[in-house]
Amino acid sequence: MSIVIDGLVLGLQLALLSVGMVFVYGLGGILNLAHGEVAVAGGLIAALLLQGGRPPVVACSAGVIASGALAWFIDRTLLRPAYSRHGEERLILALILTLGTSFALDGFFTYRYPNVALTLRLPTTSVDLFGITVRTASLAVGGLALTTFGVLLGFLKSTMLGKAIRCIIQNEAGALLCGVDVDRVRTFTLFLSGLLAGLAAIAQGFFSYLGPDMGAEFTILALIVAVVGGVRSLTGTFLASLLLGLVNTTMSYWVGTYLTWIALLAVTVTTLLVRPQGLLAYWP
Amino acid sequence: MNARPVLSHMLPVLGTGIALAAVPLFVRESGYVLRIATFLLMLATYAVGFNLLFGHTRQLFLCIGVLAGTGAYGSVLLVRNAGLNPVAAIAVAVAIATGLGAFLSYVGVRRGFGVLFVGIVTLAVSLIFQNLVLGLRKYTNGETGIVTQGLGVGLAENPVQAYYILLAVLVAALAVYQEIMGSRHGLALHALSDDEVSAELSGIDVARYKVGVAALAAGFISLVGALFADWNGFISPSLFSVGHVDIPVLIVLLLGGMRTLLGPVVGAIVFTIVDAIVRPFGQLTVLAYGVLLVALFLVFREGTVTLLQRGWEMVQSSTQRGQVGRGVAADEDGDPLSQRTNSRAKSPY
Repeated sequence: MSIVIDGLVLGLQLALLSVGMVFVYGLGGILNLAHGEVAVAGGLIAALLLQGGRPPVVACSAGVIASGALAWFIDRTLLRPAYSRHGEERLILALILTLGTSFALDGFFTYRYPNVALTLRLPTTSVDLFGITVRTASLAVGGLALTTFGVLLGFLKSTMLGKAIRCIIQNEAGALLCGVDVDRVRTFTLFLSGLLAGLAAIAQGFFSYLGPDMGAEFTILALIVAVVGGVRSLTGTFLASLLLGLVNTTMSYWVGTYLTWIALLAVTVTTLLVRPQGLLAYWP
Repeated sequence: MNARPVLSHMLPVLGTGIALAAVPLFVRESGYVLRIATFLLMLATYAVGFNLLFGHTRQLFLCIGVLAGTGAYGSVLLVRNAGLNPVAAIAVAVAIATGLGAFLSYVGVRRGFGVLFVGIVTLAVSLIFQNLVLGLRKYTNGETGIVTQGLGVGLAENPVQAYYILLAVLVAALAVYQEIMGSRHGLALHALSDDEVSAELSGIDVARYKVGVAALAAGFISLVGALFADWNGFISPSLFSVGHVDIPVLIVLLLGGMRTLLGPVVGAIVFTIVDAIVRPFGQLTVLAYGVLLVALFLVFREGTVTLLQRGWEMVQSSTQRGQVGRGVAADEDGDPLSQRTNSRAKSPY
């Protein structure tokens, strides 16, 4: 039973990670392969601040904001040329640019901070909840993720900016005609995705640790979820995250890590083969 | 066009072969330089394959490492565990990888995948391959790798001979490339890289071309992979990871110039020089790769060869108009992105 809970919480963490990627893809037709590195950047900054003796809350907040800022910076500088193109061109350009960025960041992190890792320890390791032993870390991450999603949903449903975001996902040209500043909303979305990625990195710190070399893994996990969940809806991503989190945890427990990875990737490929249009293919 | 001598379009290939053949004469004393030069040949051959895949048929295969790894692991395991003789083992492994390449391409074509989906699927295939090799510890020794000494044709013992064999493979790849591009198939490839729907409508079997090109590229890539396994004396999964093979190959092709004959060779030379400079800094190589990739794609998307060609054409343009057909290695428009600006309405997804 505690495996199931662990799996669900891992799923929530995956959701934090992948929602941002899905948003950015839905909104700009850009698959941000540097997403994982953005998360790691935030986690590392939090870790460095913790080492410097700052209180955990301050360090983590700073880390999350740093992730957002990094994503904002990438949007403002590197993705400019990509936005000026459309359709497949934009996609390829952004794909290669973010791939390069992720390598550059990964190289920098592992070179400059090889031994920095983020670990957040809670005062008690586990509590008894309705007869099930649950790790407090799981509770913390679960609470964090659910609160975030609540806020995010409220934001998308009821604020003007949230409506603008959903509007652009539906139809970029239409949104432009309605007076939505697509460019600014897109930049904001990247910032938002950065914040969410930062939170996912902090969550990773609760579970075990976050090292400088985990960016690629994060990106790939987010990619898998994005592919399986589809891009149109938050719910699709959310469900896919929970499902993959469960599969990951139970399979790691029963059959081992390598097979789990193979299974996850096989699910991805199969999804693409069986229902490519319904899952990730939204074309602006 | 027909007035040209039949073999004149092969002159650049021959020239490249002869120039590269001279290298061992100069570096005979230094085994290290020869090693780097041999590796350069492999990189260039990978890039020729990737050029066919990505440059000409827009199939973003992020599993070059898998194709090479299939050649390497396939040939080594067939010799070690099945007792095949090395040459036969290499042939079988290459056949398997060719099938794999064709299959991946076929699936992509059948499902109508765009660049992005082919990229994701092949990336997933790369990761599956990594985990498979790591997981099948019993056969592959996992991360520890396999020492291939005595399991191949003995390239590790004769570095100079190895250099010439790999040079022969590269020249063969270049010759095949040039022959295809000069024929009506080359015309078909140009047409389909411009606009697949229009190509299909004018009677070009796009699916067959894509799959055929993938099979051809996979064949060359896996052959080099198998020879690499023998030459290197050791294989481990990380040697065939995306970061170790696919990214360098992508950089090489961008550096040299997509859709050009000599782009892969020139790119490999420039890349090898840059790589030799940053290698002492360890992890910084990854950083350098990333920065290179971004910088290249932002400002230098045409590649060295196209740039040189354009300069040359400007010099010549006063005397004659730009030539068409055999003998012109590159597309007039080396920029893979700019030429699609007029086909925005089309959506192959």
